[in-house]
Amino acid sequence: MNIDLKEMTQLAPIFRELFKGYHLSRSEPECYAQLSTMQDQYRALFKALGYELVCDPRGFYYFVPEQVSVGVNKTAQRLALFTFILVESLADQGRDPLAVLDGGTVGRDELPALLEKYRDLFVQAEVTTLEELEEKIIRRLTQLGFAEDSNGIYRFLPPMHRFLDVCLSVQQDRDLAATLHSKDLPLPAPVLLDEQSAEESEEDALARAIAEEQEFDA
Amino acid sequence: MIDPKRVLRALAEHWTLLEPLCERFDAGTLSLPELRLQLGAALQDASPAEITALLDQWIRLDILVPVAKSPNRFELNAQIHDFLAYLRREHRLGLCLEIEAYLRHLERLAGHIQDAFEIRDGQDLARQLRLLDMRVRDVLKKLDNDEQALVGVAERAKTGDRQIPLRQRYAEVLATWDEYVEPMIQLVAADGAFEQGVRRVEQVLLRLLGEQQRLGQLVDDDLLLRTHARILEMQTSAQLTLRRARELLLPLREEARRHNAVTRGAALALSVIRKRGLDAVPQAAMPLFTRPQSNFLGAASQVEAYVYALARFQPKPALFPKATGNRKSGTARAPQTAREMLDRCEQALPLPDLMAWLLEQEPEGATDELLYWFSRLSRDPRFQRERLERREYLTAGHHVSLSSFALLSPPSVQG
Repeated sequence: MNIDLKEMTQLAPIFRELFKGYHLSRSEPECYAQLSTMQDQYRALFKALGYELVCDPRGFYYFVPEQVSVGVNKTAQRLALFTFILVESLADQGRDPLAVLDGGTVGRDELPALLEKYRDLFVQAEVTTLEELEEKIIRRLTQLGFAEDSNGIYRFLPPMHRFLDVCLSVQQDRDLAATLHSKDLPLPAPVLLDEQSAEESEEDALARAIAEEQEFDA
Repeated sequence: MIDPKRVLRALAEHWTLLEPLCERFDAGTLSLPELRLQLGAALQDASPAEITALLDQWIRLDILVPVAKSPNRFELNAQIHDFLAYLRREHRLGLCLEIEAYLRHLERLAGHIQDAFEIRDGQDLARQLRLLDMRVRDVLKKLDNDEQALVGVAERAKTGDRQIPLRQRYAEVLATWDEYVEPMIQLVAADGAFEQGVRRVEQVLLRLLGEQQRLGQLVDDDLLLRTHARILEMQTSAQLTLRRARELLLPLREEARRHNAVTRGAALALSVIRKRGLDAVPQAAMPLFTRPQSNFLGAASQVEAYVYALARFQPKPALFPKATGNRKSGTARAPQTAREMLDRCEQALPLPDLMAWLLEQEPEGATDELLYWFSRLSRDPRFQRERLERREYLTAGHHVSLSSFALLSPPSVQG
């Protein structure tokens, strides 16, 4: 396959976003349009560089992270939990969860009631206040391209299908378990990325790096 | 016997009143006061006596009929209701069983046709052929009606209030699929009753054509050929209706099923998390994604230098200490963290010249390291700083020219 870098005018922004863990969808029209038209070229180029580009037919692109560097992290667990809660809450209110999570919106003003109603579950994800809910969940959703925030109205983007797939997969798991008459489901604990260690301050990191280099030279 | 002309004239004259009533009658029956209320709203100038006269006329013409066992409630005469539904292009989905019943009847008629031909009864043969033709037209009419009704089912599901849960919104779709489409699939399948019935009738007609050529004509060949063509049209029409039904309803049905599975999956996941904690959600199901990276801060020249260094990298030869050699005296200094440096600096306050102090502390320190500490300490909010005149400093490897700072304790601490 011929890859012409001159034609890949959006290569730099596309790579920068994907590398950050962002999911590119129609909310980034220029990048998305180019990825759609030159999907094979981009996939081949990124593959040669060691990145696996996933082109989901439901309208979004993302990099598969290396297994060694990223486990199922706390963020993924939190976002999945938030999706489960939102689906159940919307269904309880008689609203259509799929219509909301696939291109629909939720207002910031709906979050306090959600936090109050599902406090016991949010606590498990270390989310106890509205600020934490916004910081640890909503901000992450927007940072990763699952939602966009326009003045307190959160619009969900096609990559949310990744979390809806989790719902389907859980349901299928249970079906499987039910057919096996298993009382205790074999649900393995996810390997978590230790975020605390990753949140080292910049100063400490630089000081440690300098010290290490000094030791190496000595 | 009611004169059809009078019925038709009444329908035409009162169409503007009857049409809105049709919708009400689609939903159920109406009591006499409800009917008067509806008509009163439409005919604002009419007196109660005029409304009574109008209702009386409709009842006399059998347009309105009393509901069995509820003489004070009325409904549209079923025949009139069907006729009006046809005029209003309102289609009610029929039953698949009706089509099957029509087909059985077609097969029976084919048997009668065969019998009439065998006894050479031309008149009966022509009558049976007409009946067959009319029945085929009934099937075609019904298929067309059902197709329109299916379009209506899909449209109602798609345009229904988005706030209504999908399960309720698509209830009609799911019921239609189970009660109409699924049996139709079986009926129109290659070995289904529809195909078998059509084939049987077709064989009879083709045999008749051949026999007529051999034994002489009992009926016009055109009649046979026309009926045969209509039978084939019916077969194609049934297949098209079924295909259209699948195209219209299958995606909606899948959506409803998926919706149910998602809602159920979410509820199950929450119940598992409530019992066993967040870690109980299956790991395999979780999406993997890179943790949002902080943006790399570095000037282009720094990146360039870094890449250049990587490109020109040459490993240093490994030098192993001699067994007889002297070990380096003294241990390597422990790395200094920002906190340690800040503490040391704080204890040494006031500092008349930060850079000079750093050079005293780290006389052998690398220039970039010293500059880093100079920048870091001078910016720290716990110190009050005053800029000094530019001067030169001598580090272990370089001459550095900069405007240093004098560091003091903040006013509150001093006070």
